[in-house]
Amino acid sequence: MKKWRYDSARDLDQPPIDRLRRFPREPDMLVYGLRSICALIIRGLLRIYNRFEIIGHENLRTNRSLVIVANHCSHLDTLCLLAALPLRKLHRAFPVAASDYFFQRVPRLWAAAVLVNALPFGRHRRTRKSLTICSELLANPGTILIIFPEGTRSTTGEINEFKSGIGALVAGKDVAVVPCFIDGSFRAWPKGKRLPRPRRVRLIIGQPRNYWTRSADKVELTTIANELRDAVIALGEGGTRSPNALLKGIRLRRLT
Amino acid sequence: MSPQIALYDPIFRAYFVIVLISLAAGGTILGVLRFVLRKETASMFRTYWSWILMAGIGLVVVFLGRIPTIVGVTVLAIFAFKEFARASGLYRDWWMAGAVYVGIVTVGIASLISHPRGEEPGSGWYGFFVAVPVFAIALILLIPILRNRARGELQRMSLAIVGFIYMGWMFGHLGFLANATNAYGFVCFIIFATAFCDVAAFTFGKTFGRHPLRSEISPNKTWEGALGAFSVAMILPWLLRFSFPFFGPRELVLAGLIVGIGGQLGDLSISVIKRDIGTKDMAATIPGHGGILDRIDSLIYAAPLFMHMAGYYHPLK
Repeated sequence: MKKWRYDSARDLDQPPIDRLRRFPREPDMLVYGLRSICALIIRGLLRIYNRFEIIGHENLRTNRSLVIVANHCSHLDTLCLLAALPLRKLHRAFPVAASDYFFQRVPRLWAAAVLVNALPFGRHRRTRKSLTICSELLANPGTILIIFPEGTRSTTGEINEFKSGIGALVAGKDVAVVPCFIDGSFRAWPKGKRLPRPRRVRLIIGQPRNYWTRSADKVELTTIANELRDAVIALGEGGTRSPNALLKGIRLRRLT
Repeated sequence: MSPQIALYDPIFRAYFVIVLISLAAGGTILGVLRFVLRKETASMFRTYWSWILMAGIGLVVVFLGRIPTIVGVTVLAIFAFKEFARASGLYRDWWMAGAVYVGIVTVGIASLISHPRGEEPGSGWYGFFVAVPVFAIALILLIPILRNRARGELQRMSLAIVGFIYMGWMFGHLGFLANATNAYGFVCFIIFATAFCDVAAFTFGKTFGRHPLRSEISPNKTWEGALGAFSVAMILPWLLRFSFPFFGPRELVLAGLIVGIGGQLGDLSISVIKRDIGTKDMAATIPGHGGILDRIDSLIYAAPLFMHMAGYYHPLK
């Protein structure tokens, strides 16, 4: 009789905490189930508590790899962007999270790894390696990366400068970049507050863009970052006033 | 079983004291080894801290009553199977793994509910509990047919059936024991005795171990350790006779045999699985012990044997 081949998990000898820190994580049915249930609950809560609405939902309808770029002033931002994705794509969507903030203490680490499926990103060191992991992920179709190129939550509600790393990730590659503007999350849950407040939050999703003709030199990367920042700001100024888009967003409002 | 009863139950109170004394004695021995004899005990201390934690959780769960005990056993079975699935690669097949999870939860439900017609509530549905493997295996065999696949399915089905029967159903007997009239005596005895024998086997093996017991399966186990644990297991039921005052000598000897031989066979059967897969531990969940499965392996083998032995001579309810 020929020997059976066992395909053991690669992180078998690691304690549970280290397994949460490692990336890519092994697929885990129980974790996926818990994540889906929690996502449904979070979506419902956002709809009720923050009167959350999505405008431009159709811009996310693709099976190719996506980079979602948005402004960042609250933990709600990640939850809002995840709430815009269909439930079956949830486990292929990776919010890029600072490893020095989200992947240190256990409760936050657990929430980041299990509930949000975050990708640990080295902001201060090993940034290049983190960017390599991101581009490897984007190489297989269907991956969704959620990136806040400001690098941290804004403390004023204004949109800070975008880091050029986002340019390095998308320049010369055939991936769709979707700029998004999140309106109201600063009022709902600013940095430093323990719990969110019941303020209206709105997500405006822009047209997908493509940077595959651009080269990856230093000036060009900064230009891409600035262009994306302008696109996000433009969404914030234009999208809120368009009644047509608003109606569309309400009609497309779905939980899954 | 309920907190109010546990508070005044002489058997539960006795086990509470016994566990505390055992932990204190173990700690004292380790302390002497470390500070008087200056031995290297860091790894043993890690194991010991985990023992304290597990004993605490176990006592609290049994104290809380019948439902927490059954739910706790079911959760433990789910995580034990998850470790097995991760080690054997079955976790990549969501359909099979999902079927086994469904089966394990069904075992828990069968222990929780009582027979729909007649019988007082809180006694478990014994007939269904014993029949769950029929339905679970039928479900597992159904999955390749539903998915229209054949290649490699025999391996998956076999792994799923072993996983369900061993980690789900056989271990589930521990939860069903919580339905017995003498639940505290049975549950506390079987958990305490198998744990005590594991420690005894380790201690005897470390002290006198010369001759390997099964060199191809587990290189660290020795005949000396196995015989030492066996003799401890034969004495334990007599010392803990208060847990089942209605047991005669015949049942006490059988209980000793089940704990002494069955417990070690359980240990070895998990070792066979680990050895074939080529891993040292099933996981690294419990510091100093390995995975959950490495810890409960002897209990998985001994608990169902003990339940059926006890139920044969004295009806559980």
